[in-house]
Amino acid sequence: MLLSEAGVSKTAYYHLLYKDTLLPDTIHRIAQVLEVRPSAFLEEINPAEKQVKRILFLTDKILANRPLLDRENVRHTLILLYEKPIERLRRSLIRGRKIYILQ
Amino acid sequence: MAEKFIFSSKEISFLRELIKQGVEFILVGLSAAALQGAPVVTQDIDLWFKDLADPGIKKALKKVGGFYVNPIGLNPPMFAGNAVKLFDIVSTMPGLDSFDNEIGNCIKLTLGKIKVPVLKLERIIKSKETVGREKDKIVLPVLKDVIETIKGLKKIKTYGK
Repeated sequence: MLLSEAGVSKTAYYHLLYKDTLLPDTIHRIAQVLEVRPSAFLEEINPAEKQVKRILFLTDKILANRPLLDRENVRHTLILLYEKPIERLRRSLIRGRKIYILQ
Repeated sequence: MAEKFIFSSKEISFLRELIKQGVEFILVGLSAAALQGAPVVTQDIDLWFKDLADPGIKKALKKVGGFYVNPIGLNPPMFAGNAVKLFDIVSTMPGLDSFDNEIGNCIKLTLGKIKVPVLKLERIIKSKETVGREKDKIVLPVLKDVIETIKGLKKIKTYGK
């Protein structure tokens, strides 16, 4: 069922399953010369990192057209816009009440 | 996550009961701004009620174990009880139109499984400019930047990179 959902045939799956490696031979050879693991060439996309990069990109983009805006305000707003409204409110209350306690 | 306890099911239950009882209210102030993405801090959630004498308010309070405390001296009325201690009562909003006009222009945001009417950022600014307290003046530039940020974001999404 899983294979069907992924659009992968059983033949293709078992073909991959019984291979020693899925990486091209060239990667193995370069890794051997560099004395690193072949996986060093694989870049995993971390969603959190991707999101932060997107926020920073958008911050610059918005400020390019609106240079008088405060960069921190723009960046923090974008961070919050990635959250659900209830999380935005919680953040605001947590910080607000911490300040209140410290006063 | 411990942080979730600051605005949890008990507060949402109260808002849900208000809606169930047909009480007309708008979430206003900095909590409303925070819900729309403003990086501001607040201690309370301000609720602007159309009619504080609406019996639905007391019914909703009773459901969540809360109480209505009448104004004492120059102090405004307040809610008491664990489920409602984060909420502040607002009966008038300086600088704004009537409740009926403002509620027609609110946005509805999801909190848990309910949708609550929230005063738009532009109207929050209008109200804070009218009141003009120092603490309101400090936050105005931030709120204005938030509006421009959202406009900028919409423009990027509309026209691409």
